[in-house]
Amino acid sequence: MSELRVRNLRREFGSVVALQDMTFDVADGEYFCLLGPSSSGKTTTLRAIAGLEELTNGSVEFAGQDVTNAPVQGRGMSMIFQTFALYPHMTVRANLAHPLLRDGQSSQAVKKRVEDVAELLRVTHTLDRKTTTLSGGEQQRVAIGRAIVRQPKLLLLDEPLTNLDAKLRHDMRAEFKRLHRELGMTMLYATPDQLEALTMGQRVGVIQDGKVVAVGTPRDLYQMPEDLYVAQMVGSPPINFLQTTASADNEVSLPFLPGPIGAPGAGSGQPVTLGLRPHDIELAQDGSPRSARFKAKIHLTEPLGDVTVIDVAAQDATMKMVLREEVAAQYTVGQDIEVAFDPADLHVFDKNTGARLGKGANQ
Amino acid sequence: MARRHREIGKAGWGYTAMTTVVGFIYFFPVFWIILTAFKTRTDALAVPPKLFFTPTFDNFVSVFFRKSITTGTSQATDMALYFFNSIFIAGVSVTAALIVGTLAAYAFSRYPLRGNDTYLFIILTTRMLPPIVVIIPIFLMFRLSGLAGSYWGIILLYTAFNIPFSVWLVKSFFDELNPEIEDAARMDGATERRVFFRFCIPQILAGLSATFVFGLILTWNEFLFALLLTGVETRTVPVAMARTMGGEVGVDYGLLAAIVTLFLIPIFFVTFLLQNQLLRGVTFGTVKK
Repeated sequence: MSELRVRNLRREFGSVVALQDMTFDVADGEYFCLLGPSSSGKTTTLRAIAGLEELTNGSVEFAGQDVTNAPVQGRGMSMIFQTFALYPHMTVRANLAHPLLRDGQSSQAVKKRVEDVAELLRVTHTLDRKTTTLSGGEQQRVAIGRAIVRQPKLLLLDEPLTNLDAKLRHDMRAEFKRLHRELGMTMLYATPDQLEALTMGQRVGVIQDGKVVAVGTPRDLYQMPEDLYVAQMVGSPPINFLQTTASADNEVSLPFLPGPIGAPGAGSGQPVTLGLRPHDIELAQDGSPRSARFKAKIHLTEPLGDVTVIDVAAQDATMKMVLREEVAAQYTVGQDIEVAFDPADLHVFDKNTGARLGKGANQ
Repeated sequence: MARRHREIGKAGWGYTAMTTVVGFIYFFPVFWIILTAFKTRTDALAVPPKLFFTPTFDNFVSVFFRKSITTGTSQATDMALYFFNSIFIAGVSVTAALIVGTLAAYAFSRYPLRGNDTYLFIILTTRMLPPIVVIIPIFLMFRLSGLAGSYWGIILLYTAFNIPFSVWLVKSFFDELNPEIEDAARMDGATERRVFFRFCIPQILAGLSATFVFGLILTWNEFLFALLLTGVETRTVPVAMARTMGGEVGVDYGLLAAIVTLFLIPIFFVTFLLQNQLLRGVTFGTVKK
């Protein structure tokens, strides 16, 4: 078993608190993503788990053992670094073999294992080259190979796709999922990119200022974000926020809507922030169930190929919505458009605390 | 018309010619010394200077063997010993300074102390004073400790003087390294000792070579300390060279040039040997890897 229990990690660098109170669990064989903006403490967390960072407080338990003060060597973990951190003075073969050298295996066994891993990652043709001569994608594959060659019980990944171009990032996402499925090891993946976290993670922990503020499946986090921060971290394009005050209990009015709509959890007179996913806004159609209709003006269009992100303005509120490309092609900037959403899709948050009050009338 | 961008790898004739001229100006003194080493005394002093002459090896012979004016017999000079002294003293002290400096630089770079920069600054202060200023206290220290005139004394002094330079230079090379590589090695099971010897040192070999060559050139040519702190047995070539000047027959330029020419050979040799490393070393960190 190789479950990971991270408890109350705290790390201070002088007066700067990098980790406040980091607590989360990763189950055996799970693919867990840590999602947070840069300098929110992702890297420090991974380094602390690996033993590369001294902790001010807190404990790390791995495979049933407290490893908080154990040496880096021999924890049974591997890490893929953001910079790949390949050994530049060695060949690919030597890079891949290095983790095995201290295990006392025969050179035949090492050679076999290196070649198997190279084959798995399709870098066999580079084995005798220096790592500095490889392309970005090849370097990434070698870095993965070096991390998995010893069959670690836990693989730590620190923004491994940040230094790659978009196409390669896409391919590598699939590659990581494949590796997870084939090797079945526990993986902890840190990323600032919500797309990576949502597509790869079985569960995602959202980090803010050195602590985990929400843990859940990608679906949970997207559909029922616990607070404003999680709501805006998860989902692309980002969620729209509308500021208003509850006109009555469980009811709000928006200036561009003719009448009040349901907002469960909101008390009369309470300032609230409403969250509305761009995908929940549609073109108004007769007979559609989406009851909140309004007119808006198109501000900006961003064609993404298959879909187009459209910024619309209704009075002083601006919102993003997503339309299929062939539908969006009929509209131009400056044109009026009639759109609609279902009030049940609204996420209601307390404006002051950011905490979730409820979701839509149907929830 | 807009000025066209010049293609890389295609220097024009003008640039090449200009560089050749500047290069020749730099090399001219060396060229002239080497030329003089092959001239007879008359040719060496000829006005206007002679570019074409019949070369002779007499000067090189008389570096090591001198004919006695009275008896006419040939006698070995001490120059071979002085060459050995120069090589031994410079070699040992620069190597020692590089070893100590590299270890210190690693510590300064990876395990910074409270007030790290202050210590680095203090180390460098010895290099801020002109040698002539520090020579008196050092001379007294050497007299009192009995180090004056010994190999140990001069080696110790040169080592001490080379360490600041080594620490500063090598630290900058360590600072340039990606610390994640060291962390990766640790996670792969490498001990701290192995991380240092197998992962850090191989990455800065070029920088170490550059540091070695610069230190060697400085030490090899050092004159003032050697003049005052070496004895008859431990004299280095620069001091011996100075002593050939003057005397009853005036300056023997041919002989002097021959000593200088021989004196240049070891440095030329080491520099050529490490040339590729040296170029990489001095440009370390300035070029994107």
